[in-house]
Amino acid sequence: MGGDKVRFELLLGKKVRDPEGVRVGRILSVTAEIEGEDCVVREYHLGTAALLARLGISPFGRQPLRVPWDLMDLSDPEHPRLRCLAAELPGKTR
Amino acid sequence: MKKLDLARDVLDKLVVDKGGTKMGRVDGLVLDLQGGGPPRVEVIEMGFVVLARRVHPRVERWVERLRRWSVRKTARQRVPWAKVKEVTPYHVQVDLEALKTPAFDWERWLRDHFVAKVPGED
Amino acid sequence: MKKWLQLGLGILTAVGGFFDMGAMATSAQAGANFRFQLLWAVAVATLMVVFLVEMSGRFAAVSNKALPDAIREHFGFTFWVVPFLVLSLSTFLVLATEIGGICFALHLVTGLPTPLMALPVAVLTWLFLWRSTFSTIENSTSLLGLITLAFVVAAFRHHPPAHEVLQGFVPSLPGEDPLKYWAIAVSIVGAVLSPYLFYFYSSGAVEDHWDESYVGVNRGIAAIGMGFGSVISLAGIVVAAMALAPRGIQVDDYHQAALMLTDAFPFWGFLLFAVSMGIACLGAALEVALAMAYSLAQTFGWNWGENLDPREDARFSTVYTVVLLLAALPILFGVDPLKLTILAMASEAAVLPFVALPFVLLMNDRKLLKEHANGWISNTVAGIVLLVALVLTAVSIPLALLGGGG
Repeated sequence: MGGDKVRFELLLGKKVRDPEGVRVGRILSVTAEIEGEDCVVREYHLGTAALLARLGISPFGRQPLRVPWDLMDLSDPEHPRLRCLAAELPGKTR
Repeated sequence: MKKLDLARDVLDKLVVDKGGTKMGRVDGLVLDLQGGGPPRVEVIEMGFVVLARRVHPRVERWVERLRRWSVRKTARQRVPWAKVKEVTPYHVQVDLEALKTPAFDWERWLRDHFVAKVPGED
Repeated sequence: MKKWLQLGLGILTAVGGFFDMGAMATSAQAGANFRFQLLWAVAVATLMVVFLVEMSGRFAAVSNKALPDAIREHFGFTFWVVPFLVLSLSTFLVLATEIGGICFALHLVTGLPTPLMALPVAVLTWLFLWRSTFSTIENSTSLLGLITLAFVVAAFRHHPPAHEVLQGFVPSLPGEDPLKYWAIAVSIVGAVLSPYLFYFYSSGAVEDHWDESYVGVNRGIAAIGMGFGSVISLAGIVVAAMALAPRGIQVDDYHQAALMLTDAFPFWGFLLFAVSMGIACLGAALEVALAMAYSLAQTFGWNWGENLDPREDARFSTVYTVVLLLAALPILFGVDPLKLTILAMASEAAVLPFVALPFVLLMNDRKLLKEHANGWISNTVAGIVLLVALVLTAVSIPLALLGGGG
């Protein structure tokens, strides 16, 4: 795929690491919003809780890890990278 | 404004045309990273090749080779997001007519070359 | 109430899904080799299948989706592709088996060799599907399927020792030949818990336009429909126990099973057996071929429906056409129907978890099913089914090879 286009279905399940190489989780879900004629990505959800939520099972209190779109670097779609450190993610409860 | 989970609400969902006829499924989605802004969904893709790639790149190559015998001219049907009319828990409805799209190439071919040839059909 | 006419779906599913070539073969072997000792296996399998069929119906009624449809949508293609292929392979073997059953029935009646019937039978079955609507198939097969009650009548005519029959419902360990015992027990469960059954019942419910208001009547239909099939199978074991076991017939060859009804019906027994078998297997063949077409069409999002004219769902119709013709090949090339049956039943038992697991997960999805999602009773049974299914997967094929009949 060209540098600025990404296949969403191939993105699912990819491991995400932060700039220091720390593994943050797998992309299991992506939320988006419809704005007029466009569908715009808002957040990436990582981790097992996201998978369970997607399957319709309420995760037992564990919230999926949410990464706002601007903190995800997809220039290499095979190896998505966080733009901040894992510990700096807003609302991280790990 | 409507919120969607692309994996749960769009990918693998049934695609229906403006009349409600089943067209296929959302086999793939292409995101346009747009340089500075948030990624947008550019197109929905439909086709066996798209599915094959999800399984394994090698499977994609086999399917590509099988396409020599295919009735379809385009391996992947690309539907721009702008053509999406609505996303419901049951389907993704697009502003197209199924019969005129590549998604229905095989359906039309089989109908004309096989179903029509079965004796007794009026 | 009109909904109860839907009983037709239940009985069709039972005739096709429960009492088919596999059930007949396993019942005959069970009765012939172990008399009444394996009645419990049918009872246990029945209980499980009633719950699963009820769930399939409930799911389709509330979500308006059939099972394969929902599984691809919910879990994604990459998750579904391997189960889908594995289940399709097993279901294909079952279809070949059912065609074999019809061919064998015709062979019994006409004396012509079984392989000769393979293509004509496939074509006839295909014609039936091509020209009918779902309702016609439902109603005609259900009505014709009532002939299998001959087994029940025969069972009573034999006056089996009531005490022994009742004891047969209590699980027991075999006195001798444990491998064969467990191989048959596993085949019985595999024959009953056929994955294609759930595809078919849920797709059928969608074809019949079920909605939430059918949830209640669905319970009755599942219970009565599967109950009907169960009673026939149980009767089959009793008859085999009374007619075959005393003669030392072990049903290594299907011709031996054909003698089952001749004690109870001296004049008609042979014919009744052949006709029952032919009809049961025809119902099954129709159901399995449709199940395969449903599962393929729904997976890829094609237009589907037996109620539609083939012109409106050319791909769907082509699938059942091709599948029926291919499934005729094993019999055409002389594969023994009984051996094919054993292989097919073992494969069904082995692949059950592939459909059971996603199915159970879906049944708990409150977004999809709202207040009709599984309660704790259904979940407990589902959990037991899953456990049994996993055990079956591990043992079914080895057992079939080591201890299976023939």
